[in-house]
Amino acid sequence: MKEIQELKFPEDLRYTEDHEWALSEGEGIKIGISDYAQDQLGDIVFVELPQKGDRFEKGGEFGTVESVKAVAELLIPISGEILTVNSTLDGSPELVNKDPYGDGWMVEIKPSESDELGTMMIRDTYVQFLKGKK
Amino acid sequence: MGKKWLYVDIPLMDYEEARELQLEIVQARKHTTFDRNVVLFLEHPSVFTLGRRGERGHLKVTEAFLKSKGVPIVHVERGGDITYHGHGQLVVYPIIYLGKEGLGVKEYVTGLEEVMIRSAGDFGIKSERDPRNRGVWIGNNKLGSIGIAIRHGISFHGFAFNVNLAMEPFTWINPCGLQEIGMTSLERELSGKMPMEEVRDAVRSHMENIFEVELELINLGKLRMLLKKS
Repeated sequence: MKEIQELKFPEDLRYTEDHEWALSEGEGIKIGISDYAQDQLGDIVFVELPQKGDRFEKGGEFGTVESVKAVAELLIPISGEILTVNSTLDGSPELVNKDPYGDGWMVEIKPSESDELGTMMIRDTYVQFLKGKK
Repeated sequence: MGKKWLYVDIPLMDYEEARELQLEIVQARKHTTFDRNVVLFLEHPSVFTLGRRGERGHLKVTEAFLKSKGVPIVHVERGGDITYHGHGQLVVYPIIYLGKEGLGVKEYVTGLEEVMIRSAGDFGIKSERDPRNRGVWIGNNKLGSIGIAIRHGISFHGFAFNVNLAMEPFTWINPCGLQEIGMTSLERELSGKMPMEEVRDAVRSHMENIFEVELELINLGKLRMLLKKS
């Protein structure tokens, strides 16, 4: 496992205590897992994601990532309807390890509540949260 | 040794009951003041369980046949495919807040494998890892299986170590979804039954060494009380 300072946490993203990130893009919000989460899990061999059109309440389970015989649940930080799903993860789950904020994104959701994104942690708060865990 | 994990030594518990207990501990850890890691040691009455991606195709007999044998099948949230649990298999469920322990998932799974390898070693059995298939192996035969799930960063489920387990039910499945592998047990390797108490002691002490913790014995009633009060 890497040290916190070796991991990347872009400034423009918001984060959760369950290590998801979110980024507003047009009418949708993109969601994935953080560099810390992918590093914790190790080599990811399978990603299970929802279908386009599925609706979720904040905190609901929207999928799972599986590595070395461990299944981790993915919890959605934003309520709303799934607009798009990153289906390339079906055949290439390792993208989550290689590029968690880029090609390893998971879903894009159309938010149903206003400003749930604003209640998520900013980068510095998340990094402090991670350091507190160590 | 500063850290202490609670340790519950349970002779026998139904799969569903043990699963509910684990979920209760995970919930308490996430949402209440309960802040302890807990390790459950137990055996299950006969049951087949299917992991998230488990396929019934890996069951080689009909469900009616299993019914006639009185063995239920349960779907569970852990990783891994199909497996069998029964008397004579030591099942260990550590419910651990991995992030707070500074443990990565990979490191944790490797640690669990090491617990089984060293415990088998105490009885003169040499077993090893297979990097492609997690768990503990003697040649092509599996001595111990691993399957864990993570919710809110808290790991649950764990490992199953074949001590004096009846091997026949494994012939009704492709264990872990793999073909052309076999299962084995300490009993089979040593041509004699091993006292389960001794195996529990060995596993407990290796767990303490590998994870650098002390396992603090608590009875189940007291654990349930702590969970309720939190």
